[in-house]
Amino acid sequence: MPPLHILPGATLFPNPLPRHPSKTLTPKPRPPSALLQWNRKPELSGTTPRVTVITSGKGGVGKTTTTANIGLSLARFGFSVVAIDADVGLRNLDLLLGLENRVNYTVIEVLNGDCRLDQALVRDKRWSNFELLCISKPRSKLPLGFGGKALTWLVDALKARPGGSPDFILIDCPAGIDAGFITAITPANEAVLITTPDITSLRDADRVTGLLECDGIRDIKMVVNRVRTDMIKGEDMMSVLDVQEMLGLPLLGVIPEDSEVIRSTNRGYPLVLNKPPTLAGLAFEQAAWRLVEQDSMQAVVVEEQPKRGFFSFFGG
Amino acid sequence: MASVWTLQFRSLSLRPCSFISSTSNGSIITTRNRIVIRNGISKWRSRTQQLKHDSINSISKFYHQLVNSVTIPSFLLNRSGGSNFPIWVCVALVVLVGVFRVVSRKKERPGSVADLVRRGQLKSDRRGISRPLKYEDPFNNPFVKVGKSNSTVEMCGKVYRLAPVTLTEEQQATHQRRRSRAYQWKRPTIFLREGDSVPPDVDPDTVRWIPANHPFATTATDLDEDLAQNNVYQKHGVPFRIQAEHEALQKKLEALQNDQKLNKLAIDPINAKEFERPFNSHARLNEQAEKSTEQKINKLVIDPINAKEIERPFNSHTRLNDQAQKSSVDNQVSDPDSPNIDSDLNHFESTSSEDPTL
Repeated sequence: MPPLHILPGATLFPNPLPRHPSKTLTPKPRPPSALLQWNRKPELSGTTPRVTVITSGKGGVGKTTTTANIGLSLARFGFSVVAIDADVGLRNLDLLLGLENRVNYTVIEVLNGDCRLDQALVRDKRWSNFELLCISKPRSKLPLGFGGKALTWLVDALKARPGGSPDFILIDCPAGIDAGFITAITPANEAVLITTPDITSLRDADRVTGLLECDGIRDIKMVVNRVRTDMIKGEDMMSVLDVQEMLGLPLLGVIPEDSEVIRSTNRGYPLVLNKPPTLAGLAFEQAAWRLVEQDSMQAVVVEEQPKRGFFSFFGG
Repeated sequence: MASVWTLQFRSLSLRPCSFISSTSNGSIITTRNRIVIRNGISKWRSRTQQLKHDSINSISKFYHQLVNSVTIPSFLLNRSGGSNFPIWVCVALVVLVGVFRVVSRKKERPGSVADLVRRGQLKSDRRGISRPLKYEDPFNNPFVKVGKSNSTVEMCGKVYRLAPVTLTEEQQATHQRRRSRAYQWKRPTIFLREGDSVPPDVDPDTVRWIPANHPFATTATDLDEDLAQNNVYQKHGVPFRIQAEHEALQKKLEALQNDQKLNKLAIDPINAKEFERPFNSHARLNEQAEKSTEQKINKLVIDPINAKEIERPFNSHTRLNDQAQKSSVDNQVSDPDSPNIDSDLNHFESTSSEDPTL
């Protein structure tokens, strides 16, 4: 009986619909005390620091938004997080986090010896266990001779820093499979693949997954972003299960299309900090939770259930 | 009140203009212009007096009307008859409001974030000044409720139907095999500019070709790899480049100071005797002095142990110079047979005297 995606360790479908009769993913045993417990915290699994690259292949699918929201969610859960914006020419993570005025030094300055690594880390004032590190300034060039090596040195230096190693190092990968992609994936142990339910994004995602697997990164999970249940219902959009069938990757999260994303981006205030929380913000939080526990979704939201009210009889 | 006055003055300023324009229209004969103008001025004066009088009257009338129009509360009129309770209530209310405002302003300290938000300098809902959210379980909170049958979930007031994920490990492995067949890839380990030749010991599959005009990436670097790595690993102290620049600047400054001192020494009247010496010996002395000071300075700059000496005042270097010169002179005096100076001196004098051309 596979557990429900929405509640890790929660009760299950009485009779799950077996679309494929083959062996299903074995759910992790969970302590019963964690079941539906208010203010429980995710249990960190795997060795720290977890170096995770957030990539997609295609641009504009939400890599940076996901990095910002998952990063801040992890910080809210109490883990120390360093988010590295590895997008050399077109960095945006600082804008999404509202930290653009505080980025004075980047990795380029660290390499040049203009500053130390701890001076280049920008600590978020909202959650002090979240830090941002930008690779370079928008108009500077990254010397590729040791681009990948530089990131590996950075990860090693972060591991050995006096304040203690961070729990998570999230690397926001640039679009494409160019030099920036190669640089970004070099130190990563696991990957989060962001895709949208459209064929262009899926093709790029498949290709990128292939490259990651060739590089030895086997722990790849996907986040399906900008999902619209109304379009899925009208069969104008691929469902999440269709996407999964095409890519064959475990699901970390499903993020619904939400106008609040644009608003939060413009404000420099990530969705997960919104009060009251939005649908997309909650989905990001759930994805972050699964990332911590190295878990994956076991059930997905398919469509909105029609309301059954007094006027439903009349079609209302 | 002020508006009444301005109205009056506007009318005053207009009158003379109309008067002059009427004269210019030729209603009065031009030969008697002066008399006409005088009469006009006197008339204008009398009119202004009248206007002033009228305006004062009108203002006093307006004031009386205003006073009469305001209705005074009955309890104020018959004070002697009733009690003063309503007045005291009003006074108490005013005092209470005042005290409340003072107290509330004290709470918002000037310069505090709350004060800045109140004054519109900061937006309250962004840039890290809003109160952070308390941690809540994203799977179980007032906005996320799972249905009793576990086939539905209520999120943000909407009920969604759930479907189970059916991906199997076998399917995952199949996809991985497919991808491994489709995408044969080795991560590039060397980046070359387009047009460069591939080094002999490098696998061509691991070469990444970067266009020379790539906007974000460059293969050229003026930075040593080991140095860059050390810079990344540096945890404490001054960063490498800052230190190097500082040292270079300090050297430059020392050199400048040294030059200035030497110039000063040349003018110094105490050392006037030195100038009487022949040219060559003097040059040598200067060179020696410079060498000794430079050695000292280099030692000071490079050797971090002698950091205290770097902080020496400017005069200390003059002392050094003086000492160097003195020591050289002392040596010369104490050793009369020293071949350098005396012989040179002598040689110079003898040559000059013996020079047949002079």
